Amino acid sequence: MRHLLVIGIFSLLPFSLLAQRNVKGTVTSATSGETLPGVNIRLLGTDQGTVTDINGSFSLVVERDSAQLQFSFLGFKTFTTLVGSRSVIDVQLEDDTQQLDEIVVVGYGTQKKSDLTGSVARVKGSELTKIPSSSPLQGLQGKVAGVQISNAGGAPGAGAVIRVRGVGTFNNSNPIFVVDGVILDNIDFLNAADIEAMDVLKDASATAIYGSRGANGVIIVTTKRAKKGQVAPTINFSADYSIQKLQKRIALLDGREFATVANELRPGSYNNIDLVPNTDWQDLIFKDGLEAPILNAQLSATGASDKGQYYLGAGYFKHEGIIPKSQFERLTVKFNNSYQLSSRLQLGTNITLTPFKAQNTNNNVVFIAYRAWPVLEPYNADGSFAEIPGTGNPLADIEYTNSFNQGLRSIGNTYFTLDLIEGLQFKSSYGIEVDYSSSESFTPEFFVSPQQQNPLSRLNKGFYNRLSWLWENTLSYQKEIGLHRLDALAGFTAQKSTSEFVNLPALSLVRDTPDFWYINPNNINPNEVGNGVDGSNYFSMLSQLFRVNYSFNNRYLLTATLRRDGSSKFPTTNRFALFPAVAVGWNIINEAFMSPYEAITNLKLKASWGVIGNDKIPYDRQYSLVGNGINAVFGPEDAIIPGQTYSSAGNPDLRWESTEQFNAGVEMAFWENTLSAELEFFRKITYDILINLPIPGYYGNGSGASITTNSAEVLNQGLEFNLGYRNSIGDLNYSVGVLGNTLHNEVLKVRGTNGDDDFLTNGAGTTRSSVGLPIGAFYGYEVDGVFQNQSDLDAYPHRSDAFPGDLRFVDTNEDGQITDADRTYIGSPIPSLLYAFNLGAEYKGWDVAIDFQGQRGNDIYNIKETIRPDLYNYEQHVANRWTGENTSNTEPRASQGGYNYLPSSFFVQSGSFFRLRNITLGYSLPEGMTNRLKAQQVRFFVSGTNVFTLSPFTGYNPEILGDPINSGIDLGGYPFSAMYSTGIRVTF
Amino acid sequence: MKTSNIRKKLTLSLAILGLVSCKDFLELPPQGQITQSNFPTSAEDALLATNAIYNTLRFNEFHFGLFPIMDIMSDDAHKGSNPSDGAATVGPYDTFTHISTEGNISRWWNALYQGVQRANVVIENVPDITMDEDLRDRYVAEAKFLRAFFYFDLVRAWGDVPIITTTLPVTDAERSSKALVYELIHEDLEEAIANLPEKSEYPIADLGRATKGAAKALRARVYLFQGNFPEAARWAQEVINSGQYDLFENFADANSEAGEHGIESVFEVGAFGQEGLENGGNQYGNVQGVRGTPNRGWGFNRPSLDLMNSFETDDPRMEATVIFLGEELDGILIAGDSQTPDETTDEDGNLVEIECYNQKVWTPGSTVPPSFGHNRRFIRYADVLLMAAESLNETGNVPLALDYLNEVRERARGGNNALLPDITETDQALLRDIIFEERRHELAMEGHRFWDLVRTNRANSILGPLGFVSGKHELLPIPQIELDLTGNRWPQNPQWE
Repeated sequence: MRHLLVIGIFSLLPFSLLAQRNVKGTVTSATSGETLPGVNIRLLGTDQGTVTDINGSFSLVVERDSAQLQFSFLGFKTFTTLVGSRSVIDVQLEDDTQQLDEIVVVGYGTQKKSDLTGSVARVKGSELTKIPSSSPLQGLQGKVAGVQISNAGGAPGAGAVIRVRGVGTFNNSNPIFVVDGVILDNIDFLNAADIEAMDVLKDASATAIYGSRGANGVIIVTTKRAKKGQVAPTINFSADYSIQKLQKRIALLDGREFATVANELRPGSYNNIDLVPNTDWQDLIFKDGLEAPILNAQLSATGASDKGQYYLGAGYFKHEGIIPKSQFERLTVKFNNSYQLSSRLQLGTNITLTPFKAQNTNNNVVFIAYRAWPVLEPYNADGSFAEIPGTGNPLADIEYTNSFNQGLRSIGNTYFTLDLIEGLQFKSSYGIEVDYSSSESFTPEFFVSPQQQNPLSRLNKGFYNRLSWLWENTLSYQKEIGLHRLDALAGFTAQKSTSEFVNLPALSLVRDTPDFWYINPNNINPNEVGNGVDGSNYFSMLSQLFRVNYSFNNRYLLTATLRRDGSSKFPTTNRFALFPAVAVGWNIINEAFMSPYEAITNLKLKASWGVIGNDKIPYDRQYSLVGNGINAVFGPEDAIIPGQTYSSAGNPDLRWESTEQFNAGVEMAFWENTLSAELEFFRKITYDILINLPIPGYYGNGSGASITTNSAEVLNQGLEFNLGYRNSIGDLNYSVGVLGNTLHNEVLKVRGTNGDDDFLTNGAGTTRSSVGLPIGAFYGYEVDGVFQNQSDLDAYPHRSDAFPGDLRFVDTNEDGQITDADRTYIGSPIPSLLYAFNLGAEYKGWDVAIDFQGQRGNDIYNIKETIRPDLYNYEQHVANRWTGENTSNTEPRASQGGYNYLPSSFFVQSGSFFRLRNITLGYSLPEGMTNRLKAQQVRFFVSGTNVFTLSPFTGYNPEILGDPINSGIDLGGYPFSAMYSTGIRVTF
Repeated sequence: MKTSNIRKKLTLSLAILGLVSCKDFLELPPQGQITQSNFPTSAEDALLATNAIYNTLRFNEFHFGLFPIMDIMSDDAHKGSNPSDGAATVGPYDTFTHISTEGNISRWWNALYQGVQRANVVIENVPDITMDEDLRDRYVAEAKFLRAFFYFDLVRAWGDVPIITTTLPVTDAERSSKALVYELIHEDLEEAIANLPEKSEYPIADLGRATKGAAKALRARVYLFQGNFPEAARWAQEVINSGQYDLFENFADANSEAGEHGIESVFEVGAFGQEGLENGGNQYGNVQGVRGTPNRGWGFNRPSLDLMNSFETDDPRMEATVIFLGEELDGILIAGDSQTPDETTDEDGNLVEIECYNQKVWTPGSTVPPSFGHNRRFIRYADVLLMAAESLNETGNVPLALDYLNEVRERARGGNNALLPDITETDQALLRDIIFEERRHELAMEGHRFWDLVRTNRANSILGPLGFVSGKHELLPIPQIELDLTGNRWPQNPQWE
């Protein structure tokens, strides 16, 4: 097919040799004056053209004076000129910052967007810094079609959860990150201000170069560095300050309402419901405004000479949470530099150092406050914490929880590139990632109530270290012959990750103050000491990679990629696997036949296919293990006697999980690129999914035991769209963008078969992933009303524990009775549509940007409402409960637990939402004033983040991503806050 | 740059590209853990693997799934704790409204099969280890005793259950008939009896391990459940005649801390007074411990008024079975829980429940940790005597039955001859009822009552008013999750479908 195409093209080469003459000239940059090699020059109305040589010179044959030459070059504004009678045409191209984005980073290299055959989306660093967050990923939300980003809770320092093109695995479905050539699982520790851009690689062709690592997508992070020729140092300073407010409160019963319900359940509990206290626990545990500030400041310097370039950045971030005592603090230091040792040899290093400290960020108090009785005062008359039955006192929980986590995250790499012969370059890069952290949690001896007390003070110390190194050696070759452009890459990489943790528990410390939080022989509890490797960060890997990009005449593009990976996580026999991908592209816009359609300024088709692997399972899943510390107690002294026995079952037949993906897309632009559109279709089938299949109890591995097997298959399919319009009216520049994607997620196999019994349930029994339904689909009874009276109850099939006022379950199998077999699909945690609107405008010094985002089609299982071993407070809707015939057909009678709290559609809520993610208003001082300040740019801004979220969900935040079979289940984590910021950015 | 120079560099680069492709780089064995293929292979391993089976006996799930549902399902006890705690999860067992998805059922099932697997590790591998033969046989015998012990719970609670005798079970196991399960139990116990030492033959530090006496006593209990009275009588009498056991003078010591591993203990599991399985703790006592002040636990499994009223006048065993509010135990005043009504009445104002706790799990102390130190007694000598009495009465040896029965009563009266007079009844049917009542009072709150009612066909008449449905509630439902995980191949128990 491809050959035919090429031959066809050659045969169409024109023979137009009429009144010809030679035109020559030099192209330079208008700003730097440097000559520009590689500029595309096109003779408009024909398919003829050329590129400038190494000195920026060109020469071209034209036929007539009326011919027009179009000069285009990445990063510069396209310039068109009439030849006229000139024979020398020197051109100065102006910078186009917008166009600069048109280079994208692909694995082990960069590509012009027009040459790209895969699916890659780029987000500039300036977008990432808009959101006051410690994680640069927060800024990615709503910026890339096909990517779902959810807040991992609102705790200080919390990161984000990312899904690229759906959920293709039951395993870890996070993408990988490549930062300055180092492959990482997490980039929450990076300072967004140090990031130049993020490139999200989505399809198989783009990710195939990362082979086994890329099945869930690859996000390449490019950190800032100086641009060549930027001789004068540039200093950037920015600082912003934000205040927070709980974005949404959960509507719960007040004291009087709760007392009414309690009286129904236990008559006589409250004699006068008008006299009970009304404690709003949410008011008591949350703070806001100036009491919950976020401070973010950074300073950086960049500069370059012909011999080298540097970027030096330092940042400080502090986030005080909306729950007292929770906070996160971080320093970031970034140093990127490179040296030109000779005309052929370049050397560089990139280093990131991030010391951090977090306190009480995993707080359980939110769930406690959600359930605490509102009829009780928080304090006793003597000022001590009052007993709150069932849950304990939320304020005491805050008081007695002291949990710290601190450490150092660092990545660094050193590389050199050597130009061997023209176009052939060798690069070797050695990178390390380091994670050293320690945690300590201390609970003093205290007594609030019999159920909330700690008889012996307790200290837990944890020490963790992880070191991962990655050595990559690549040979790349670039060659242009006539209209053929070839870019080839071959490489070899080796990686090893080692890790170790130590947990040291102690009891009965001599003093409660932090000065005494140390372990010694008198307080250590040897039975709980733990030491081992971190199973998900202990592995080694060897890979070989190959890629060829070929383009003919800027029109016909081909990419072929092959990677061979070997992973220590698989048994010897199944260790290595090959991951191939091919992609083609057609820049139709460069075809001669497009000349008449001047309104169309870009038109490109592309398609790709490939297979990518995944090995994100703990390192030892192939082995059946023997557990330590399985002790017996014998003798009159109750002595603890060591024991060991089988603990977990491994699978010696494990093999690679693989994802086959097909991608097809079209890129269009109209009217000088004022309107641009990209559409892409993807279809991904992940097979041999490594799944922890729960095994029957009779296997003897205990409650909740599972074994890892390659036995599931999942389909993700969708359409991505990204539309942009930018234009100007006088001094007003404005832009509008719409992007998003649809998603269809469907389980094709779970246990290697596709029968009715082919399903996987989660531990709580609230989800069932079965053939034909989305992964992690909610599962339970379908509710279609409330039994109004005894005769109503008698008229329908019902369980023996149902009474008038209880929920009516649907007899889905129509066997005349309600049994477990009537449980059915009641909702999906996966959105069918993700979307975002972005608006921007600039007028003189003013700029405004508004980002909306949302999703539709997903559900949330409100499990926090159903866990009721005891009497707890209720959500507000319980006030509308059934209290007698025809009082409600939707809200059951009050009950403390049991029947009405079985998994059912009653607890499934829509997770659709629409959010004003960010609105920013900025003002830049005019040039005259900045000159007086000796600054290049001074900008002030105010912004609001998470200003509002419209959602029918009753909980704090409708974004609840968990592992695939426990996603969308709300347990009431640290809530989400709205943030209002003000800040300044100065460039000298 | 000269061409040769370039060539050199090119060669170097290619060399680097191909470097490090050694296989060993990708071999990363488990760290700090042995793999199952290498364990147990030595005498030390054999001991470790045997010890680990006993660990199962301290699982909180092992004790009826965490909450003592077998007592709660009987007429001896109510749910306990405060009215709301566990109302939806544990409460249903009190009224026979429990369902197949409730967690206790699957936790207990899983714990028992985990015990079976740990026993299988020893039974399958230890015989091949080159080591002291007596010791080797003892380890295997301990494992067989424990495997029988686990299967006996399984077959009583669920009836037909899969028989697993290897560490690599088949993937399509079916439920085997009760008869086959009992057959396995007897085979295991026979071998255990042959190779286990008597209690006195163990070093004192090994108390708590399976003994010949324990295996014989368990065999008697199993036969009793099968209605094979001659065999039950035989094995119970072998225990009695072994001379290894006797009754404590003081009834309370049969379950107290002072009586741990004492003369009356036939089989018990040791526990250290600290929370956490790894710390030697056993939550069995904590789940039932006094709630409130002192805070000793959760207060589940509350003795019923019916039980208290059933005791003969002034039977000292009632005081030793029930902790009442206001009572002082080991110098600690029992004040109870502020969220639990001292007295609960029904709609007609009749007293139906009082706040009280199970004294048989009491451990001295006023804080939580010691409550994890209660050694649960699985088989004690008084039970063996009563099993002998019951089975001898059934086989027609009334005089000997009366001897054993009166031995228990004599101890119970604690030296006060005005109480609990000797039984002289010789009518088999009447004596049967008397022995049965004696079992209730002697063994109350120790997890026997429900099963005793079922095996003697009394469950329907006695538990019927509480919600028991004949033909259904004799067995627990197979956990729904197990039916799901086995592809809904297995039939559910009758009337639980």
